[in-house]
Amino acid sequence: MIRHLCALALLAGFAAPAAGSAQAVQNATLRRAQQAYDNLEYRQVVSLARAALRERLTGPERARAYELLGFTYGAMDSILKAVDAFKQVVLIDPERQLDPNRVSPKAYSAFDVALRQVLLVRQLRVDSTTFVGGRGAVPIRFTVTQPARVVTRAIAGAGGGTYVIDSGAWNGQVNLSWPARLANGDPAPAGSYTVVVEARLGQNGFSASQPIRVSHGSVDTLPSLTTLPGYQYLSETEVPPQSWRPLGLAFLYTGGALIGTLGLESSSLGSSSKRELAVVGGAALVTGFVMTLRKPAPRPAAANILYNRLLRDQIARRNQDIAKENVARRQQVQLTVVPLSKPSGAGPR
Amino acid sequence: MSRATAGVVLLVLASRAAPAQGVAVTVGPQFALVSYREVAAGLRYQGTGFGAAASARYGKLSAELGVLRLTLDPASGSAATSGFTATEVDAWVAYDFAVYASVEAGVIRRTADPEFAAQSVGAVRIGARSFYEIGPGATVLFRANYLAAPTFSGGGHASFSIDLGLGLDVRLAGRLHGTAGYTFQRISRKTNPGGTGEIDAPIQATVARVGLAVGF
Repeated sequence: MIRHLCALALLAGFAAPAAGSAQAVQNATLRRAQQAYDNLEYRQVVSLARAALRERLTGPERARAYELLGFTYGAMDSILKAVDAFKQVVLIDPERQLDPNRVSPKAYSAFDVALRQVLLVRQLRVDSTTFVGGRGAVPIRFTVTQPARVVTRAIAGAGGGTYVIDSGAWNGQVNLSWPARLANGDPAPAGSYTVVVEARLGQNGFSASQPIRVSHGSVDTLPSLTTLPGYQYLSETEVPPQSWRPLGLAFLYTGGALIGTLGLESSSLGSSSKRELAVVGGAALVTGFVMTLRKPAPRPAAANILYNRLLRDQIARRNQDIAKENVARRQQVQLTVVPLSKPSGAGPR
Repeated sequence: MSRATAGVVLLVLASRAAPAQGVAVTVGPQFALVSYREVAAGLRYQGTGFGAAASARYGKLSAELGVLRLTLDPASGSAATSGFTATEVDAWVAYDFAVYASVEAGVIRRTADPEFAAQSVGAVRIGARSFYEIGPGATVLFRANYLAAPTFSGGGHASFSIDLGLGLDVRLAGRLHGTAGYTFQRISRKTNPGGTGEIDAPIQATVARVGLAVGF
């Protein structure tokens, strides 16, 4: 009973990808093959799929027919035949990918073996990016299914030049970065490009391409600083705390005048009139008293003045650096690279 | 037009042009109270007067000029029988050698009319002053000047002459300042009348000036 359940689950795994792609089938023989596969009539699937392959099929239909054969041979434990069928699938549709969660391990391993036996460049991706010319690169990723000599180029459209991005021996997942610069250091001219990855192994070759658009923009300049983040100008004056100092000083100065007058009076002339000192000294004391009651005058805060001077100097230096940076930035180009929709331009060579 | 009036007019005209040169100038009238004693305790006068004062400051340099016209009458109990009129001119230039102190030099010239009613005095001032801002716009000042090389209309000489001062400047409103100044002057004059030997003929004066000044 358990073995039957496992077999049913396995068959359901084989059936899932085929059923999912049955909608686009136009060929009647292929539809019958699909129906036979759904009904688990494997021998009939093989004969109908082979018959369909002798008929006129579209590319996707042809890939579907081989895929049905691959899943069917896999279910029939004819692994070598399944691998051959899957090799035809990936040669027709190199981007074909099986979901390991939805297909049987047998079919998946046959598909994986088929991938390793065919030289393919798959999953070529060029990410959108924006960077200042000379300070960044365009990320390029792809997968080579066999060890091969791989040359990656960017071919400018409309008779433009060809720029070699990379040339090397690769296998598996490959990550490249293209600085989008010419040999003389200038940024790549704006326009449409096609990133072409050519893999060659002996007589076998395969290429994949991805169109991209490179556009130029001006690099943002930096604004001048008026303040430094986290640092603020301090008040250059401070109001001292209220005190009796004004009255004390008035007393001190008036007292000095009084003591001087008393001490220097001529003994032969007698005591001099104090009327004049009383008027002026009284005025000084009253003024001192009033000033004691009033809010003291702000006085320069030496530490704050020094701090502000240092801050101004620092901001001036930063602005000088920013000005130099902006001069350089005005001579720079901001490159924006965007991948375009991909035409069906891949195939064995 | 008297010479004093002409001097005041000249000061006002000069003060108008000063701000453009970065010079702070004040000019204003003054009212004065004066006490004067000479030779002996019995010879004393008191009076009042009017005048004008001007000051200018340029950086650490400053200058002051004061002119007073005083009318003195014998004080009660004085042996003097008649009063006199005095004209006093004081001038200083100073240099701030510290935030609250400066050295100064100047001249004093006081003349009496009638000429021999009192001693006319002229001397060179050399001294120092201390000043302190005791509040917003309020400054007190204390000065001590030695009066060097004094000359007297009646002859004689003075081995010791000193002039002490107390000053006050308060900014009342805007450019208007209130000023007050006190001066105590002691001159130990000696004279030798008729070649009979030197006798003491000291001079002692106190002057209080109260006035207004306009700053430019």
